[in-house]
Amino acid sequence: MSSDESDDLNALPGSAPENRPRPEGRRNSQGIRIDPEVEAEPPRRRATVTALVQNEPGVLSEVSGLFSRRQYNIESLTVGTTQNPEWSRVTVVVEEPESNIEQISKQLDKLVPVIHTRELEDHAVSRELVLVKLDAEEPEKVHAITEMYDGTTLDAGPRTITVELTGAEREIDDALDALRQFNIREIARTGKTALARGETKTAIAPDRLK
Amino acid sequence: MTTGASSVVRALENAGVEFVFGVQGGAIMPVYDALYDSELSHVTMAHEQGAAHAADAYGYVTGRPGVCMATSGPGATNLVTGLADADMDSDPVVALTGQVPTEFVGSDAFQETDTTGVTRPITKESYFASDPDTVGDTVGEAYAMAERGRQGPTLVDLPKDVSNAETDHQPGPAKLPDTYRPPHDADSDAVSEAAAAFADAERPVILAGGGVVKANASEELFEFATEYGIPVVTTMPGIGSFPEDHDLAMSFAGMHGTGYANLALTLTDCMFAVGTRFDDRLTGGVETFAPDAEIIHADIDAAEISKNVQADYGLVGDAAAVIRQFTDAVPRAPDADEWREQCADWKDEYTLDYKIDEDGPVKPQFVVEAVDAATPDDTIVATGVGQHQMWACQYWTYTEPRTWVSSHGLGAMGYGVPAAIGARYAADDDQQVVCFDGDGSFLMTCQELTVAARENLDITVFVLNNEFIGMVRQWQDGFFDGRRMASEYDWVPEFDKLAEAFGATGFRIDDYDEVEDTVDAALNTDGPSVVDVHIDPSADVYPMVPSGGDNGLFALGGDHL
Repeated sequence: MSSDESDDLNALPGSAPENRPRPEGRRNSQGIRIDPEVEAEPPRRRATVTALVQNEPGVLSEVSGLFSRRQYNIESLTVGTTQNPEWSRVTVVVEEPESNIEQISKQLDKLVPVIHTRELEDHAVSRELVLVKLDAEEPEKVHAITEMYDGTTLDAGPRTITVELTGAEREIDDALDALRQFNIREIARTGKTALARGETKTAIAPDRLK
Repeated sequence: MTTGASSVVRALENAGVEFVFGVQGGAIMPVYDALYDSELSHVTMAHEQGAAHAADAYGYVTGRPGVCMATSGPGATNLVTGLADADMDSDPVVALTGQVPTEFVGSDAFQETDTTGVTRPITKESYFASDPDTVGDTVGEAYAMAERGRQGPTLVDLPKDVSNAETDHQPGPAKLPDTYRPPHDADSDAVSEAAAAFADAERPVILAGGGVVKANASEELFEFATEYGIPVVTTMPGIGSFPEDHDLAMSFAGMHGTGYANLALTLTDCMFAVGTRFDDRLTGGVETFAPDAEIIHADIDAAEISKNVQADYGLVGDAAAVIRQFTDAVPRAPDADEWREQCADWKDEYTLDYKIDEDGPVKPQFVVEAVDAATPDDTIVATGVGQHQMWACQYWTYTEPRTWVSSHGLGAMGYGVPAAIGARYAADDDQQVVCFDGDGSFLMTCQELTVAARENLDITVFVLNNEFIGMVRQWQDGFFDGRRMASEYDWVPEFDKLAEAFGATGFRIDDYDEVEDTVDAALNTDGPSVVDVHIDPSADVYPMVPSGGDNGLFALGGDHL
């Protein structure tokens, strides 16, 4: 019905919704135009984002706040100093739809202490470190598996052994699976840190900052 | 030798600040003491929220940062609503807060709050001043950051020992940090590609956002739209960027935007969107937002491109510069005669209207139109948040930028009165400042009338009084089966008498035949006046796109919800 015929005192003139021209297309929940017949939601993927930042109070809180306020799913976040004592490098691993990954880089770029940020290529050089504390009942077997994964025994006592393993995330997952039989008491993982491979720069700092 | 506090004041003077809106208190006393010897004018507000809103409105109207000041703890936390508002609306504001002495920071000392921690998510940048030698430069940087690039609020937290400490360092001019370089021109190849697509459009539309106002790009927008004959829709913050009395003006779109604006956005095949962040109140559900359109999105903030709605062409730069580039790059006018006719037809068909019963209570829309008719075009309109705000959007014809002062993104009830005060300080002496408020919004910050009375500020507040939190009542009627929980005031003060108690002049309107004379009398009153307008409590705001709904299916009345 047209609202001209309405007895609603607040109603305005004009055609009722069903009598108006309609668009043909549709967007998905990310605001991307799609075939209206298809209701595909965007797939998630894992991305490693690197950022070179100036060391100043609050920078880590700004970075982590950026993720938490958007409910983005952080797999890991590492931070450490660089060759320049005034700079730190942050490496974040996230699993999100493509458009969110793009947002992460753009939002990081907006933060004042961030010098440069980008997503790293899949073939970037990346490593993660894990410390594992295990029961010491079978030290030889623990030692053998640790060797197999190029790990190091850091502490061996009568009741516990603590080993260090370094590698790509998948290798560490495999090593932990193998060590699980010795009763893992505690685990500490650093999360992934990474540099771009070869001549490719991980981050580009403008000359005025060097 | 000077002090940290004097450096702070000197930095403000260097930046050309004229007014500071604030409230005194323990930890900020050294800075106030330094103000004693300064040419800066301090406006003592009743509440820190009022100081932040006043600074925000001052910043919006002048385009230069408004400055507010508060003490630590409750002073700082009371600023929070105003800072969040400025952050959402990209208004330039600098907040200075006192802090407990550095040695007590972290000890839960008296009136200690982690102010930088609280405000970091709602400011463009939040600084903790730790050194009396650099505190002045930090304040200068905060000013530059608030003003340049995408504008926004910044804050400097000033521990009392840093303010009190002696220093021989004088602050330099306000300067951006080395890591911050706001863009100016957009990439010219991207502009050319987008311009070529635009020329091929059959149903082109411009969507002008608040960024057009912020970049002072109204002239560029007008030239572009009129040269190529493109209908102009604005967002709510974009109101004033294009004269609403022009043939190409389609008014504002979104939840309570005009039907014709929402149809134009829904059916366009190419949208040139400038300085907008595609807020959900504009887009409705993104699935149905301009679903046939190629979107050319120009914004000074690269992170806005494809954030909420995917842009087919992203142009990062200052709105005025990008519109100029785009105007030069469009190879020919789009062939859009039919579309222009269609838009004009929609303007006729979906014209905003309301029914009057001359013996019944006064319709709020009538009051807005009456005040518009009684005031010059450059009159500044401030509002609170709610139904009255929507009527002030719909029934006032805005023709000049920076005359529409409101709380858009945050939707902060109580914005109106302090914003009118800030706008009064920013406005030209011969420019009128009016405020439309609701009874609910007015009750939140009406204590700021004490400032208007003390300083004899010429503002006129029209309280569109329906004795409801009206927008909530409207939603309860529409979406909660009419269960009016906590939206009905059983009793409200007589606002005209309340105004008199504050030292303002009070008026009251109950009937249609009182409107014209009372509006004239209030506008002609020297100093602040308040008109308690008892409006039709059953008046609702339409058109309406329910939250997350389809803009093209806007409801013209309750039957369509």
